[in-house]
Amino acid sequence: MSTTEARTTAAAAVTASGLTKVYGRSDAAVHALRGVDVSFDAGAFTAIMGPSGSGKSTLMHCLAGLDTVSSGSVRIGGTEITGLDDKRLTMLRRERIGFVFQSFNLLPTLTAEQNILLPLQIAGRQPDRTLLDRVVETVGLRDRLGHRPAELSGGQQQRVAVARALAARPQVIFADEPTGNLDSRSGAEVLSFLRTSVRELGQTIVMVTHDPVAASYADRVVFLRDGLLVRELAAPTPQTVLDTLVSLEGAPC
Amino acid sequence: MLRTTLAGLRAHRLRLMLTAVAITLGVGFIAGTFVLTDTIQAGISRSFGAAADSIDVVVLPPPGDKPVVLPDRTLAKVREVDGVASADGLIRGTAALVGRDGKTVGDHPTRGMSIDSRVSITKGAAPRGPGEAVLDENTARLRGFAVGQAITVLDQMDAPHRFRLTGLFDVGVDQELAYFGAVGFDAATARAMTGVKGYAEIDVKAAPGVAADRLRAAVASATGAGPEVLTGKALADRLIAANGASAEFIALGLLLFGVVAMLVAALVIYNTFAILVAQRTREMALLRCVGATRRQVFGSVLLESALVGVVCSALGLAAGLGMGGAALAVLEGMDVPLPTGTVALAPRTIAVGLAVGVLVTVGAAVLPARTATRVPPVAALRTQPEAAVDGPGAGTVRRVAAGLLLAAGAAITAVAVTVLGPGEVALFTVMGGGMVTFLGVLVIGPVLVRPLSAVAGWLPARMSGVPGRLAVDNSRRNPRRSATTTIALTIGVTLMTMMAVLTGSIRANYNHKLEEQFPVDFMLSTQREGSHIPSGVGDGLRGRPELASLVRVRQAETAVTLGGREARRTVGAYEGPLEVSASSGSARGLAPGSVLAAEGLGVRPGGTLTLTPDKGGEPGEPVTLRVAATFDANATPLPPLVVPPTEFARYFDVAGDAQIMVDVAPGADPDRARKLLEEAARPYPTVRVAASTDIRGQFDEALDTQLMVVTGLLGLAILISLLGIANTLSLSVHERTRESALLRALGLTRPQLRLMLSVEALVLGLIGALVGVALGMVFGWAAIQTMFADPIYAPPVGQVLTFVALSGLAGVLAAVLPARRAARAQITAALSET
Repeated sequence: MSTTEARTTAAAAVTASGLTKVYGRSDAAVHALRGVDVSFDAGAFTAIMGPSGSGKSTLMHCLAGLDTVSSGSVRIGGTEITGLDDKRLTMLRRERIGFVFQSFNLLPTLTAEQNILLPLQIAGRQPDRTLLDRVVETVGLRDRLGHRPAELSGGQQQRVAVARALAARPQVIFADEPTGNLDSRSGAEVLSFLRTSVRELGQTIVMVTHDPVAASYADRVVFLRDGLLVRELAAPTPQTVLDTLVSLEGAPC
Repeated sequence: MLRTTLAGLRAHRLRLMLTAVAITLGVGFIAGTFVLTDTIQAGISRSFGAAADSIDVVVLPPPGDKPVVLPDRTLAKVREVDGVASADGLIRGTAALVGRDGKTVGDHPTRGMSIDSRVSITKGAAPRGPGEAVLDENTARLRGFAVGQAITVLDQMDAPHRFRLTGLFDVGVDQELAYFGAVGFDAATARAMTGVKGYAEIDVKAAPGVAADRLRAAVASATGAGPEVLTGKALADRLIAANGASAEFIALGLLLFGVVAMLVAALVIYNTFAILVAQRTREMALLRCVGATRRQVFGSVLLESALVGVVCSALGLAAGLGMGGAALAVLEGMDVPLPTGTVALAPRTIAVGLAVGVLVTVGAAVLPARTATRVPPVAALRTQPEAAVDGPGAGTVRRVAAGLLLAAGAAITAVAVTVLGPGEVALFTVMGGGMVTFLGVLVIGPVLVRPLSAVAGWLPARMSGVPGRLAVDNSRRNPRRSATTTIALTIGVTLMTMMAVLTGSIRANYNHKLEEQFPVDFMLSTQREGSHIPSGVGDGLRGRPELASLVRVRQAETAVTLGGREARRTVGAYEGPLEVSASSGSARGLAPGSVLAAEGLGVRPGGTLTLTPDKGGEPGEPVTLRVAATFDANATPLPPLVVPPTEFARYFDVAGDAQIMVDVAPGADPDRARKLLEEAARPYPTVRVAASTDIRGQFDEALDTQLMVVTGLLGLAILISLLGIANTLSLSVHERTRESALLRALGLTRPQLRLMLSVEALVLGLIGALVGVALGMVFGWAAIQTMFADPIYAPPVGQVLTFVALSGLAGVLAAVLPARRAARAQITAALSET
């Protein structure tokens, strides 16, 4: 699937157009996003990259409805989410979005299994047992389900977080530096699960990362710099990602 | 280090605010107590001091058990002493004022007294001559009499006399006059009305230039041995001391509640500092990293608490000034006869307030400060510790200590209830057992939180879905924190429940007793002990169809020799259908020559006692009587010695009845029966008709008032413990900012997040209330066992359930602000916060 096709296809899970985000006012205003147009295909694994301060986290927060935009539009599925009130946004997150954060992903009072089921319970939905079994099997947590987060390693905790995101079968999963706090082996495991879920379950994933190796697990990488989308890369390898980053560091935009 | 501490305080001032309010309230209450009692003391001193100014020397009857009066000749002797300008004798007795309804006012006859220059007439003029009288201001207002009107007062023979009310007077600080009310006359009229043939006090004024001390000596030598002669100042000092003692008693009672409030405040402070220290682990570690010693870290936490203590105690003193003033205003509004003055903070109040506030605050912070010193410097390098979750927590030491304390508490209480007989010793032992048990609960608290939260959270968790279940989990995630938070509430609820249980049980026991003593629908009696219901009343009621039964009791006081000791006792007889249940022997068919004796007099059936008949005012030949049976005096309205009516008439010539007990005929209208009785009693101002329900009502009212006052005072402790819940929650909310954000990201709505925190507070409140109610019920029961021989345990279930419900509700209220703050937070900001 080429990137040109991806942008025009109706199967886009998330679409943003003319997205700007300004923090503060007048003199002290910081333009985090300066007009981003991007779309993320359904059933694809996309990475958002960029140097620190490029606006990649802000972009993700705006796409996921965690933050408000200054102007522009964001559509998830067919729904325009800018302008939705807090309650509708919450419902949208509950029904259609999954999250994996860099740290603090789990509730310390709940067991791994309870954490995985939490979004479904909040939404009042019955878990799909076969899917759940498959997810648990995939992330290899069968014998850890009764443990609390404090009894799990960092990698295991993050796998629980991924399982939680997958179990609710959201339209899109947003992952914010999911491997940022992990050693390379645990990181590789988590990234494999993310990729497997895309391949085998048809899950849509948008991941923010600054790690070229992590980005190379994706089907496509989009590069952000100073609040603008500046480049994108299909079928990335660590080397091509690194090269692109280096060229971005040097070149004026 | 000081600068760091100050900066820390500034940064955390919001988090410390609720703690500050807790300390301020506690100190305020204590300071307010001092302000109140100091003001009363000052008022007492001033009033007595003023009174002392107008008299130089006072002559009092010889001190002793029996009230005696100073005879006329003593007054005459005093008047002849050189240097005496004037001497007045003060006459005091009873003179029953008749109210507008034709009945004597009050439960006891009003006092009758002579009015001399010492009494301050506040309106109108002092009485002159046999047709004039004055009333004390309060009685006049209460009974609706105004200056210029006519009043009726009974003399000692219950004969009515009419007087013109010429003025009103102030009883000052005389508690007896304030309580009973007083009618004042000139000296001759007072003597005629009260029938008292002497003086309760002789007030002497010195001639110009004569020193009080010298005059005192002169008067003392004139009156000889016996009467007490004091200078006016010495008397004032004595009265001030006596009244001051009662003010101190009030202070002691109030301070007890102050101590409870401070204890609760200490728990709140302890918890706050413990949480703050836990949250600032990194900060403490950083201090250690940059070279602060353990001692410095310890000192910085203590210094912080000391600063908080000083500031809040100062605020508390200001609050106390306000509270004391408000209490005085309320008392004045309720016409409590208290001398008042300007409210002021005495140096002692300031010292005690500051010391208590600072010591409690610093003392409560010691343990958290010690925890702070254990933070290793390397903790600074770790990432922010996630919202704390305690481990299982309860070590063996804790369990063993708690077990020992609980066992000791139970043992002490069991001994008090089973071994010790009813009485004060047993009651205090129960209290001691209660305190030991409470300590045990305090220690075992963290272990109890888990099961109790399951109980308390059972319904909320089922009713409010995921937020509810998360809330119940949260309520037990820091068992120690939750235990400390809830135990503060437990203190108040325990005491309140105990008071409610005691009140309810005392009411039930009293009602039970009342039914025994007052086994009739109506009772006729007289206001004054020793006066009688004229026989015509009882005779007139006999045979009325509205009345089923009529029991007439006659009684007289006479010398009785019992076990070799002679004493004046009341002997009585009854006519009519009354069952006396004998505790030993047989009360049936009381024959001439035998007597029924109350238990506790020290005689058994078969024993004898000697009674001196008293007919026509002349002691007759002593009669020896055989005791036929003994009975429980508390269970009947009869006097302690009962003889057959025919014998009674032989021994004494008492014309009237002491009381008449009446039962309404079945099917007759009680209101009509009452009208009939009131009609029969109308000609006699001192004869009153009471229904059993009236007496019960009065007693209920007194109990309710008492419960209300105690509940109000305990309300302060409850309020402080609620501040504690709000405080713990807001600190937890702060600690769980990121957790809340995660939940919001996963789809929890703002109302759901608020609901979650409300349920958590509800569960905390319920845990505190459940423990409190359990303790209160148990120790209320134990206390009742020590108060009555055959106790009825009647816990007011409705009231106690209300306490539980209110505690839960109060917890929810305490969560309102923290929950709002948690729900308002931006998800992204909270998530990116490290």
